[in-house]
Amino acid sequence: MLEIITPLFLSLIVGGTLVGIIFGAIPGMTATMAVAVCLPLTYSLGLENGLALLLGLYVGGISGGLVPAILLGIPGTPSSITTTFDGYPMAQRGEGEKALRIGIVSSFVGGIISLIVLWLFAPTLADFAIKFSYVEKFLIIFFAMTVMAALSSDMLMGVFSGVLGVFVSLIGTYDISNGGNGELRLIPPGTEYWLESGFSLLPVLIGLFGLAAILEQAEIGVPKGHSAKDLQVGPKSTFSFAIIARNTFNLIRSSLIGTFVGILPGVGGSAASIIAYTNAKTFSKTPENFGKGEPAGIVASESGNNGLTGGALVPLLSLGIPGDSTTALLIGAFTLQGIQVGPLFIGNNPVTWDAMIVAMLIANVAMFVMMYFAIRYFALVVTIPKHILFPVILMMCVIGAYTINYGIMFDVWTLLIFGVFGWLAGKIGIEIAPFIIGFILGPSAEVYFVKSLESFGDLTIFFTKSWIAVVLWLLIVGSVAGSVLMARKQRRMSE
Amino acid sequence: MGDLTRVTIDFDTSHLIFPTLIACVLGLLGLAVLIRDRARIAATVPYWRGLFAAMDKVRFLGALVLTLLYFSLMVPVGNIWPNTGMGFLLCSIPYLLATGLLFMHERPLRQVLPLLIVAVFGPVFVWWLFTYPLFLSLP
Amino acid sequence: MNITRRTLLAAASAVALLAQPMIAQAQDLPRNMRLVIGSKSTGGDTYQASAMVADALSEKLGINIKVDAVGSSEAFKVLSRDKRGTTIMMFHDQAYLGHLYGVTGYDDIFANYNIGPTVAINPGNAYLVPADSPYQSMDDILQAAADGTRVRVAIQPGGVSEIGFSAMKNAAKVMNPGSEENIVAVNTGSQSDKNQAMWDDLADVINGSIQGNEQFTQLPADDEKAMRFVWITARPETLEQAPEAGMGGTSRDEMLKHASPETSVTLDGNEDFTFDKEFFMLFNKDMDPAISEAIDAALTEIYDAGDIQTRQKEAFFIPNFLPSDEAKAHLQAKRDTYGKVIEQISQGN
Repeated sequence: MLEIITPLFLSLIVGGTLVGIIFGAIPGMTATMAVAVCLPLTYSLGLENGLALLLGLYVGGISGGLVPAILLGIPGTPSSITTTFDGYPMAQRGEGEKALRIGIVSSFVGGIISLIVLWLFAPTLADFAIKFSYVEKFLIIFFAMTVMAALSSDMLMGVFSGVLGVFVSLIGTYDISNGGNGELRLIPPGTEYWLESGFSLLPVLIGLFGLAAILEQAEIGVPKGHSAKDLQVGPKSTFSFAIIARNTFNLIRSSLIGTFVGILPGVGGSAASIIAYTNAKTFSKTPENFGKGEPAGIVASESGNNGLTGGALVPLLSLGIPGDSTTALLIGAFTLQGIQVGPLFIGNNPVTWDAMIVAMLIANVAMFVMMYFAIRYFALVVTIPKHILFPVILMMCVIGAYTINYGIMFDVWTLLIFGVFGWLAGKIGIEIAPFIIGFILGPSAEVYFVKSLESFGDLTIFFTKSWIAVVLWLLIVGSVAGSVLMARKQRRMSE
Repeated sequence: MGDLTRVTIDFDTSHLIFPTLIACVLGLLGLAVLIRDRARIAATVPYWRGLFAAMDKVRFLGALVLTLLYFSLMVPVGNIWPNTGMGFLLCSIPYLLATGLLFMHERPLRQVLPLLIVAVFGPVFVWWLFTYPLFLSLP
Repeated sequence: MNITRRTLLAAASAVALLAQPMIAQAQDLPRNMRLVIGSKSTGGDTYQASAMVADALSEKLGINIKVDAVGSSEAFKVLSRDKRGTTIMMFHDQAYLGHLYGVTGYDDIFANYNIGPTVAINPGNAYLVPADSPYQSMDDILQAAADGTRVRVAIQPGGVSEIGFSAMKNAAKVMNPGSEENIVAVNTGSQSDKNQAMWDDLADVINGSIQGNEQFTQLPADDEKAMRFVWITARPETLEQAPEAGMGGTSRDEMLKHASPETSVTLDGNEDFTFDKEFFMLFNKDMDPAISEAIDAALTEIYDAGDIQTRQKEAFFIPNFLPSDEAKAHLQAKRDTYGKVIEQISQGN
């Protein structure tokens, strides 16, 4: 065991984590991309060292996304969308540093909890995960969607926006590789050439959050001053571990939710933080504060998306099936070395397995140390004058959009289309948060809904499939009822 | 329950089921919005007129036009030297500089200089990073 | 605004300067090539096969080749736009199977593109049943269909995953006309969906691969996830080139038991149906033939040297270099055979 922990092994993890954080922190660059570009290096590094690098990139990439989410309101990666909902309002009222610290601590705890789960229960959990058929997966997605109602300032418009997001996500082909029939739909005549594959998530995301925000600033003449207020004000708003302690239950629950969503193949990486956030809001005593700068929201989002890291490795290492798009690339690292991943992996490769656990542990610690002490430098971002910051962000958005699918120009145009749409949306009352959630979850909702009916042929299957389905329905009802009660309470208060 | 809840899905047309369902829900919600917000919708024209009047037209439209130009030129320029990322590099430098100047309020040399440095070295650094260490395609 | 225009002018004059050496080299080979692939994954087999070849070619020819995982529809679009040979494509049998199955976004590659050399085979395409399945072999499955039992096969429709299923139907039709109606498709997506379809008891047989499913065949029989191979579609001469140890707990000899001729899925009553997933290059129709000749020549030298074969075998690929002309004839013959199979089974439906 000890012989694999060499200086090279350690420096690859730390270096990988650092590069991952940078990729995660730049809007448009993602953990998946970081792993993809470094994958060829692993061939010469050997398996354990290669994995050390890739796992560092993975942990760093997922974590780095919180920095621009909080400071600029632009999620650095799709999985940090829910961090913007509360992180950016906090930064705007001068609590950016506090929000960053909350996010980093939550990320660390989420990563460690999921790692413990991975280490102790990987095979058992994989056996549980395969109990989730199309029906249960649809209900999980449906539950995640209920947050749309809760996130909106005007429930009717919020739900409308969310359903619109689902609708837009269905444009293009019913993807064969997800189980569809490959037929086109919802495409205006004459645009098949471009819209065949629909709109990609990342360009849509950075268009809505990045370009649209800059257009809004341009509209009001790019007022001088910083993009967020000075990072610290008054002793009242400084970070203390008491905030985390108050959220202990939320933290553990969100980490476990993130881990579990990672374990379910096909539910997807971005869904983890959305579901954790939905849950936190449903069970919160002050749900009305969510979306306005509630620390518990950051806790849920960040522990949820880092919880994903350990979770997504469970099906990879115990079924040979990736839990998200980044772990799908890790399979490549194994097959390049001629190592099979599947139900026998852990038993057959104990050294590699231990090396992975150790690498994940070190990556999480390295991530925490580097990010916690780099907060002051992150904060410099908001002191850059806007006339320099905005053009640079625009350029990074273009690069991110172009490179996410390895060089497709239509993705850059998507960025512009959704940038303008995001600006317009703000004017006509369409809400971006539910829209993007609908857009992210739409394709999986479709596949699992249609496949449930195709396979079981009866509408009642959604209620009768299993006890898991019943539990999920209880959560769905709880979340919807919570949103309705909250809306009523707010209406009464405003009257 | 019996027959009422039974459904048979024809795989060949299954791509239309969910979009149809969502379109119906969207239509109903849209109708509800129309009814509830009819007063606001009736005021659309004055609302936009007001918005347009208050807008910083030069910066807003300028940013849009520059972005449009930037995106349109990148590929043709890149095609002159295929697969080298030159389209990105040669378009990004003027774009960064132009939007930066557009967003600036006063343009003394002391402020233009840092922008100029960023506009030149930013794209060059990114181009170098993507072409050599990362080995990713740029336009 | 002055600055912009001046910069653009400067850029334009830089064009003139830089263009000189570029044109000089273009007579030979483009300095920077882009190898687009028909898959969106950089962890999958298409990417790996392509990356190995791209590395070897870059070194041999002294040029840069970037592998871009843009996916099939975008790859075909980019390839048909670029006549200069700065973009080439790598894909596998899906390229023509997609057209045979009428999938959106696929057209006739033999008419619209030039076929380049083949480079490798992934011999892994396989069909599996649950460990406790009553079916011990393909014969049992075809017999069950003949006896009127519905056999549900989980596939991803429209290509490589469906062709073996079409062959099963065809064999059923050849042996017992009418029984092909009892072999039905369960349309799923990824490998994970296909496995899940088996565990949810939605499918009796699933399409899979040696690489992805072998470990499930080694699980104890009482594990609910355990599976068994019933058919490996590769040609016996392909499998014979695999490492003798095979993969995981399945030796090459065991693999051969599940492949033709020992496991027979007939094509026409005489010959067996076989399918190898072969990776090959595609070029723009109007590309300078000198470029494809240079690639053929370079690959011939690379395969003669022999290092690439070792690398391919490590990742469970079977090296299979055929220069462009041979590759085209070979793939066209394959396309015709499979076209007939698909035509046979769609008759009378």
